[in-house]
Amino acid sequence: MIDETSLGRFAAGSRLFATGAAEASFELAVDWARSVIGGGVPVVQADELEPRTLCVAITLVGSSTALGEQLPAGDEPARAVRALERRLGARAGAVVALNLAAENALLPVIAAASLGLPLVDADGTGRVFPLVEQTTYTLGGISSTPLALVGPSGELVLLETAPDRVEELVRPVVLSFGGWGMAACYPTSAERLAESCVPGTVRRLLEAGAPGAPRALAAPYGLRTLCVGRIAGVEGSTGHGADLALPSLPSSIVVEEYGGLERLVRLEAHNEVVLALADGAPVAMAPDQICMISTTTGVVVDVDKAEPGMDVEILVLNAAPAWHTARGRLLGGLRAFGVPL
Amino acid sequence: MILGVALAQPATTTVSAVVAVRDGALLGVVSGAEPWEARAPSPGMADYLRRARAVCVAVDLDTVRPAPVAAIRVAGSCPPALRPLAGWPKGSGLATIVRGGHTLTGRQLARLDTAAVRRFAAGAGLTDFAVTASGSPVLADHELAVAEIIAAEVPGARITLSYEFGRAGLREREDDAIMNAALGPEAGRVADEVARAFPGLPLFFARSGDGLVASHYFRRYPLVCYAGATASEARGLAAMASLVPLPAPPEADTAERSQGAGPLRGPAEDAAARVQGLVADAVGWSRQEAGIAAEERPLDGLGFARGAARRGDGARGELVAPAAAFGAALAGPTAEVERIVQARGRAELDRVLDSARDEALARVVSAGAAPGSARIASTTVNPLSYLPDGLYRLRVTAEGATP
Repeated sequence: MIDETSLGRFAAGSRLFATGAAEASFELAVDWARSVIGGGVPVVQADELEPRTLCVAITLVGSSTALGEQLPAGDEPARAVRALERRLGARAGAVVALNLAAENALLPVIAAASLGLPLVDADGTGRVFPLVEQTTYTLGGISSTPLALVGPSGELVLLETAPDRVEELVRPVVLSFGGWGMAACYPTSAERLAESCVPGTVRRLLEAGAPGAPRALAAPYGLRTLCVGRIAGVEGSTGHGADLALPSLPSSIVVEEYGGLERLVRLEAHNEVVLALADGAPVAMAPDQICMISTTTGVVVDVDKAEPGMDVEILVLNAAPAWHTARGRLLGGLRAFGVPL
Repeated sequence: MILGVALAQPATTTVSAVVAVRDGALLGVVSGAEPWEARAPSPGMADYLRRARAVCVAVDLDTVRPAPVAAIRVAGSCPPALRPLAGWPKGSGLATIVRGGHTLTGRQLARLDTAAVRRFAAGAGLTDFAVTASGSPVLADHELAVAEIIAAEVPGARITLSYEFGRAGLREREDDAIMNAALGPEAGRVADEVARAFPGLPLFFARSGDGLVASHYFRRYPLVCYAGATASEARGLAAMASLVPLPAPPEADTAERSQGAGPLRGPAEDAAARVQGLVADAVGWSRQEAGIAAEERPLDGLGFARGAARRGDGARGELVAPAAAFGAALAGPTAEVERIVQARGRAELDRVLDSARDEALARVVSAGAAPGSARIASTTVNPLSYLPDGLYRLRVTAEGATP
């Protein structure tokens, strides 16, 4: 159960490894969730649901900065789910998250609360990937479409297409909305959801978000420290004049390890860190998640906020087993981020 | 020579320290040495007043009584929990949402509902307004149009527009605008009283981060100086530590220091004692005299506390007043511009960067920099993720010297 008292823990847990989350959108998602949570949202296991129960995934599509600027009307999650229901001729019986990073953990809670539905204790990544189709749902053979997309000015778009064209079609629509939309997608039965989701992740965040709880609780498949060190340099691939910090993509971050082997660790980033090299040898890469945590604040350091002189701990979160299959690596591995290794 | 002044608590407007500074060097702690009255300054103080060319004031505004604010948001409807002034204490003011605003991509959400603005402004019965439009970091047209209507409806209205704070995140920017509007009347009173105490001298106020702004800028944007004394104190302590060799650290301090914690901030008392020591040395007092407990005497609305005075409320620890006064006197005028821009290609980005830099330079001159001294201190460009077509967040900081 996520209720008024546990919502704070859940929200805190959702931030532990979330990169690229805009503060404004996260805060508004927390306040919005608190205002609709009422008696609470039941958290259920996918395999506890009646096997044919229609489950729908909820996600923000587009820019969290845009969400923070153009506020939701409030009915977006419910309208998106209702649109899918109309198309499918069936009522949704549960809501599930696409991923559980920052606002994207809270939006499914808001959807479930607004619709009076339970939230499935699972998500579709076990970490965060940038594309709608980069999910274990896709790996499990569930289509992201039909997909209903609702915009903040009352727009509603229903998308039916091959799943690998969703991203291409959704981007311009979202842009014309103003930068963000709320999607209800991956409609499926509880039975199939149970086979393809990353289970137990909602409860893990509830535990990991408790004050004093170890961060590792939020990493279901294990967590290791790559090194602790100081950022020695941040290099963008394109500069823009000498006096300008343009954290353009791709970029590299060089970290000098304290103590130990005193290695030089190089992080290659495309929006997020996708590859880590220690003294030239690859030591971690996507689909595992590589994360910089500030040792002074304990907060995730985004790639575009990394600066020389920052003290960081570099953590590697092992991806769910589904990501370590041949198909998983194709969808979420280095190549999916444009690194032909 | 520049005078640095630390105010203890604006609600009682108490001066807790005045220091004299030239070229970054501490010449003396003026007010700590002897009682000083604005009408009949002591010979030492009168001399300083004659030689001073500017007064830099460090004040924290967290204890001032906020004025009720009429808040206008120009945007679409939203859940009640996300409305303006939601979660603010009772008595914070009135709020409304009117149709209008833009998306981050610059598209107009709706035509501005000018009739609704007029009705609200005329009926609010308040004179401090905060206006926040969706998308204003990209396009501020609707905020400017609302300001025009308010000015016509409410003579003498003080209007804060959120785009001048520039932060992305509508609610955060709106809270900034409301807070700024709420601080306005008290900030004006503080500026008036300081001006009476230091007649004829250009006045500057320390910003919450780096730098100063001129008095008229402080009256209009008091929020940028919200933690001016705290920021100045940190700067002053750091400067003192680097200029003057520190006394041998107490043993308890050594372990901390060896871990790289730095020599500046031990426990608050420790730091206070060290600074009192330094200040005392600088003006040739004994430490004992410098450590006299605060004794406040109101005079002319502008009280004065002796010695290294305490912060009035005492709630967040003590302010090392001479350090805050020193820190304020070390800073120069600073202003920044934050915007979201759309630029396709490098030439266009260069053009918008140039215009943002021009605006930052104009602002820092408006904040009191001598025109010849104004320069760009930093420029940051961040592409907004998941928004194609070259949307960037620009932050430009300009700084200068006091005239």
